[in-house]
Amino acid sequence: MYLERFYRRISLDESLVETVGFNPYYPELQSGLEDRILINGRAYINLAANNYLGLAADPRVKQAAAQAVQKYGASLCSTPITTGYTDLCQALERKLAGFLGLEDAILLPSCYQANNGLFRTIVGKEDLVIIDRFAHSSLVQGIMAVGCKVRPFLHNNMEHLEEILKRSGDYRQIFVVTESVFSTDGSIAPCKELADLCRKYDALPVIDDSHGIGVLGRSGKGILEEEEISGYQGIYTASLGKAFANAGGLISGHRNLIRYLRYYCSHLVYSTALPPSVLAGIGAVLDIIEAEFVPLKTKLDAYRKIIFNSLVEGGFDARPGKAPINSIRAGSKEKTWRIAQRLFEKGIIATPFIEPAVAVGEGKVRLIAGANLREDTVREAALILRKVGSR
Amino acid sequence: MKLEERIIQTLANNLQKKVEIKPESRLVEDLLLDSFDGLMIISALEDEFSVTLNIQDLSEFTTVGDIIEKFRQSRGEE
Repeated sequence: MYLERFYRRISLDESLVETVGFNPYYPELQSGLEDRILINGRAYINLAANNYLGLAADPRVKQAAAQAVQKYGASLCSTPITTGYTDLCQALERKLAGFLGLEDAILLPSCYQANNGLFRTIVGKEDLVIIDRFAHSSLVQGIMAVGCKVRPFLHNNMEHLEEILKRSGDYRQIFVVTESVFSTDGSIAPCKELADLCRKYDALPVIDDSHGIGVLGRSGKGILEEEEISGYQGIYTASLGKAFANAGGLISGHRNLIRYLRYYCSHLVYSTALPPSVLAGIGAVLDIIEAEFVPLKTKLDAYRKIIFNSLVEGGFDARPGKAPINSIRAGSKEKTWRIAQRLFEKGIIATPFIEPAVAVGEGKVRLIAGANLREDTVREAALILRKVGSR
Repeated sequence: MKLEERIIQTLANNLQKKVEIKPESRLVEDLLLDSFDGLMIISALEDEFSVTLNIQDLSEFTTVGDIIEKFRQSRGEE
């Protein structure tokens, strides 16, 4: 039959779903990110979203997005390089760069596109990319597509990184790539040390601060503020769909880099510009962070501790961390999904990670209690976690 | 240090997972190597033995012993 072999080849392996009797992916939500979310008509406590500061459904953010739709419509239906670039976008890029203390910034439809597009635009076969062993797929895939030499270093291990840097000569440019906060377990990279090593060996640091922006630092400016990295000369990328509670990817850094990317980054040049509602929403979140970061972060930290203590009391293998992420080390993919299944049955949505998102046999279940949740909701979740763990 | 020890030490120093590595260890089934581990091992062996390898070379090996044998042969050892 016509194309039968092709469609058979790409059919999904559902053996894990059959073994566990549960599929944690693509739950169909019938609500926004309120205190509870609705799935199949049932209310769940959402510990899966990256809505750290709880601003995704904040009335001020909704209003800003609605006003932008009134003024500009739903979309500019153009790429930024043609007629998709609004005054709203330009003002936001400048404001975000200023917030980070960097020279300039551009916005792409997603951080996956930002990271992919970045490497495909600025890295060539004559370059070397040294990357943390656990870096995000968006970074890895962008780099692998270039066809340059790639050398992973052991996770957060600066001695191993330096060993590699010492042995790396004869490349046009060396890039050192990491995430600031590793999203599956909340570990934080020693970015200051990494930036210092880059300076020592004439390498260019690239930091993806997707889980740090709006979360780390005294005023939420992310990893550069957290680690007091001043005069950062490297490249900074971040998602605006996590603490910034909207969508889109940010690349920020030296003005020459940003100007170059505006014209040569295909992922930007050939993509329809972010819609005005999203740009206005990001702007509203930025205003809230500048005014209210400390109380929001205080709440986020308190929630993280409540959840962490319940995991320990429930007998889960969980490690403390500075990022507002709790992670259960579950082991095999079957065990990982079963924990997510038990939580789901008790009314909690969590995020299970199995290979290839994590190393084989090192499955994790991530729990994030955003600042939008009420304290009694978080305490209820903690009670469930204790019960599920000790079962 | 003997060739076998050098290779096992190089692998141990460049794998995130801390598992016992023996000549009979299978790369995928026992050491749970993924593509990034493969890149790390290839680069580390290049550094250790001053040779040039590529990631496709790894597909020739099933066990650690296969890597040892390959290096032994290329060095003209019995």
